[in-house]
Amino acid sequence: MRLEIGNFQVENIEFGMKSSYENGTLTVNKEEALSVVMKDEHITEADIILTKPGDDVRIVPVKEAIEPRFRLNDGPTFPGITGKLNSVGNGKTVALKNCSVLAVGKRWGSFGDGLIDMSGEGAKYSIFSQFINICLVADTDEEFERHEIQKKNHAIRWAAHRLAEYLGSIVKDITPDTTEIFELEPITKRDEKVNSLPSVVYVMQAQSQIEESGFNDLVYGWDTNSILPTFMHPNEIFDGAVIGGSYMCCSSKWSTFDFQNCPTIKSLYNEHGKTINFLGVIMSNLNVSLEQKERAAMFVQQIASSLGADAAIITEEGYGNTDADFIRVITLLEEAGIKTVGMTNECTGRDGLSQPLAALDVAADAIISCGNVSTLIELPPMGTVIGDLDALMRDGLSGGWADDEKLGPSVRADGSIIMENNAMFCGDSTLGQSIKTVIEF
Amino acid sequence: MKKGILYLNQFFGQIGGEDKADYEPSIHEGQVGAGLLLNSLLEDTEITHTVICGDNFMGSNEAVAVDTILGFLEGKEFDIFFAGPAFQAGRYGNACGVICKAVKEKFGVPVITSMHPENPGVDMFKKDVYILRGGPSAANMKKDMTQMAELGNKFLKGEKIKGAETEGYYPRGIRLEIFLEDETPASKRAINMLLKKINNEPFVSELPIPELETVPIAPAIELANAKIALITSGGIVPVGNPDKIQSSSATRWGRYSIAGMKRLGNEAEGAFKTIHAGYDPSAANADPNITLPLDALRAYEEEGKIKSIHDYYYATVGTGTAEGEAARMALEIIEYLKADDVDAVILTST
Repeated sequence: MRLEIGNFQVENIEFGMKSSYENGTLTVNKEEALSVVMKDEHITEADIILTKPGDDVRIVPVKEAIEPRFRLNDGPTFPGITGKLNSVGNGKTVALKNCSVLAVGKRWGSFGDGLIDMSGEGAKYSIFSQFINICLVADTDEEFERHEIQKKNHAIRWAAHRLAEYLGSIVKDITPDTTEIFELEPITKRDEKVNSLPSVVYVMQAQSQIEESGFNDLVYGWDTNSILPTFMHPNEIFDGAVIGGSYMCCSSKWSTFDFQNCPTIKSLYNEHGKTINFLGVIMSNLNVSLEQKERAAMFVQQIASSLGADAAIITEEGYGNTDADFIRVITLLEEAGIKTVGMTNECTGRDGLSQPLAALDVAADAIISCGNVSTLIELPPMGTVIGDLDALMRDGLSGGWADDEKLGPSVRADGSIIMENNAMFCGDSTLGQSIKTVIEF
Repeated sequence: MKKGILYLNQFFGQIGGEDKADYEPSIHEGQVGAGLLLNSLLEDTEITHTVICGDNFMGSNEAVAVDTILGFLEGKEFDIFFAGPAFQAGRYGNACGVICKAVKEKFGVPVITSMHPENPGVDMFKKDVYILRGGPSAANMKKDMTQMAELGNKFLKGEKIKGAETEGYYPRGIRLEIFLEDETPASKRAINMLLKKINNEPFVSELPIPELETVPIAPAIELANAKIALITSGGIVPVGNPDKIQSSSATRWGRYSIAGMKRLGNEAEGAFKTIHAGYDPSAANADPNITLPLDALRAYEEEGKIKSIHDYYYATVGTGTAEGEAARMALEIIEYLKADDVDAVILTST
């Protein structure tokens, strides 16, 4: 597979009469963009609000982030989401860099939603504070889940993907600023030099904990709760085959944007042919029952062994219950003689005294730690809120609370907040962006 | 000008050698012995007093020694407390640990000592006290005291400290997140670690697997004579959640009467529901007994399989809840179980 991503470095976004792109400025016809959003009758109201790094802005509840993209050869950009099914990862796709579409609840938040500050102390906790954000702020008629802590957020998440595809289409006929080429030849067709290098697989344990469909990450539109671990080409991950879900404490979540830009896959690509032979991705999951965990772990071990992997990097989208899957796969890979490095975050409590993972094993002797979900974060008010600040304390966002004996509510009358890192939007970036670690104090 | 107080044993406090090891605690104005060195190393801070106590006296009369010394300190103004360095001296290490811990608890000031890794005081007190990694003998006095002063200066100036390894003290079992100064992303760290592991080169895991505390399986009990209690981390509470238990990262738990109740009524009946955010609540709201199996346990009670059921059940929420919080809540709940002579507990999750 050979994927060519044509990159447009967006320096400025503004609304205008005609959607266009010129010299780093993306002009968006708001009416046209909103008509794409409103194609779903379940969207009852919607607005697009632009914000950029350095703005005195707080965004909450954020449900999803997507890099604007458009597949040039054959659509859709997000197969099974914005259109019919088709294979991705091969051919040409254009991407608007330095920006992201955020799906923001106009009023209602849910357990897996997060917060982004565009400047100040809070900005360091989410990589999305570094981008120009195109906030789709919407409400829907999904009354069945209006007051549920767990929401599927279907209408707004799908609308955000349509919007990202629409924005990507603006540059479909323009020559990109730069082009990235991702090409990985079939495993049995690699030359002797590559074959002689240690073979490495990347194991992704995507979030799949909810039995009912509609919450979990999707692979080509298919619920990850219903998959057995399967082998994927890394280009598929980059090119919209997988989208983020609507369940998991937010700092542990992977957004669609994170899949599209997975830094660990990029690092593996960089080393391919030099120090390693990068075999590809084993897409696994994090189902809750013990038998499902064991079955998935067995499949990962089998696929990695059958491919002849010498080493693996594994990462989990979650913590707590999912640590059992993470540790089990590491243990089985090590048992099969596959040298494994794990990437995860920890839950050591606000005081740092708790056991870092719910499951542990001495086989997990090489772990990269990307943060502590329970870190207590106190932030001053921001001048403008996009969305609804009260959602952080009202709607069951993990990391926010209505009241606490010692700390009071998460949202105070003056707009300042106190929360756990849990509610920082995709804050622990276990797909590789995290510049955090956890150390002994 | 800030103020500090230093604790020394009989030897470094210049009272005498082993023959003076029973020396009772005393307090002296200003600096004595090694205190002069510490005083010269501190910035904008004066060692105003020196406490001296014999190692044997502290070892054999700990309560008296601690009370006496805390009494000396009562009413004195000080911003920081030092002890030692104790090098590899076991009794001195114990004394430094004991007094530092007591001073920290009573006065809430930073406390710092220093010991060699083989000093038994390290394992005894490293979780309570900042213990710097020191040398084996008094030949290391200047180096160890300098380290103590450097860490002390940071506390006194209110500077952020940079963790156990960088500052040179023994890890205290506290793991907190930091932003890496060189901003190396996790993806690069992972590849580097992987290449080292592949090539059998040494590497340092960012999450060392801690020693696990395993709980031995309890001895069997006579079920027919047992009083059983039900506890759940599945968030089953009376509708309305009277104790406002959080839906995730819980710090609260509740105790609710099930006396005379055959089974838990459901949400529609206005009785019980789950407020746990980490699983699909519909089945538990329709029938809370699937999470907290009161109905099944009552059947066992009627059949005589168990003697009785404790009149209350206990509930919290397990999702995102730190292990330390869970342990605290358990200790609080255990008091009630003990008071009612509960023999066994059925603990259900989600």
